[in-house]
Amino acid sequence: MSVTEVLQSPDRVRAHTAREINERIDQDTQLCLERLADKSKEEITEHLHELSREWDMERRLQANASLLALSGVILGATASKKWLTVPAVVFSFFLQHSLQGWCPPVPIFRRFGARTSKEIHREKYALKALRGDFDHLATTPSGK
Amino acid sequence: MTLPIVHHAPDIDRVRANTEPAINERIDRASQYRLQVQSGESAAAITQHIAKLDREWDVERLIELESSTMGLTGLVLSVLISPKFLFLPGVVSTMVLLHAVQGWYPLLPIFRRLGLRSQNEIDRERFGMKALRGDLATIPSGEAVERARAAWQAVSL
Repeated sequence: MSVTEVLQSPDRVRAHTAREINERIDQDTQLCLERLADKSKEEITEHLHELSREWDMERRLQANASLLALSGVILGATASKKWLTVPAVVFSFFLQHSLQGWCPPVPIFRRFGARTSKEIHREKYALKALRGDFDHLATTPSGK
Repeated sequence: MTLPIVHHAPDIDRVRANTEPAINERIDRASQYRLQVQSGESAAAITQHIAKLDREWDVERLIELESSTMGLTGLVLSVLISPKFLFLPGVVSTMVLLHAVQGWYPLLPIFRRLGLRSQNEIDRERFGMKALRGDLATIPSGEAVERARAAWQAVSL
């Protein structure tokens, strides 16, 4: 995938991730597809259930940001007002993330393999295709 | 006309699980209707619709925008007016934590009524559109590696 493709990607987290990290995440997904391609339908179904339990990037960021902000607010109320800089910084970056798709934990989480929900769903629908969920569509007229 | 793609996805979606069934159904019906409309359209029109889906804001993104704005407002008020306003960022961060772990969020019912979807629901329509365009019915029989590659290509972003 070229740089322009990453930048034009409809996925804002991918667009703000180093190219080689995106490629590594994609390769892992492709390897998983190769491993499951000739497995039984039951095994693919089992893996699909696993996928629906996977925590995507947004969920991890929400848990991370809310824990940090909450700790800062509690310390700010009980110990010293200086602690309020923690929720201030966290909320600002969280706001930036919602608009733009980047905040400081993103590169760290990406390096640990955290996927966006779109990436997870891409694997999910590829597996559904391998399982034969869409085979009956081949007989319907296409290419209109 | 029946649209088979939309029927089999019993996912664990924490947004759907915390939404009234009637609202979920309304969102699903709207999605099915759009698939029905696009099924009579050209591949180019479907591609255009997919691009629109790619830009759609999911409910997580709106929650992130709303919660961070509320939290920052509370912090500013607590410094300027009274420390009592600290309850606002306190409550907001607790609610976001609850949403991350369990899925419920105080404004979720409102957002859902406004028609905001989970990424799961958006992608379901998206891959439904791709199926209509003929992207998904092309997995050949053969070597596992080739089949995996074909499936990966078929679901390209």
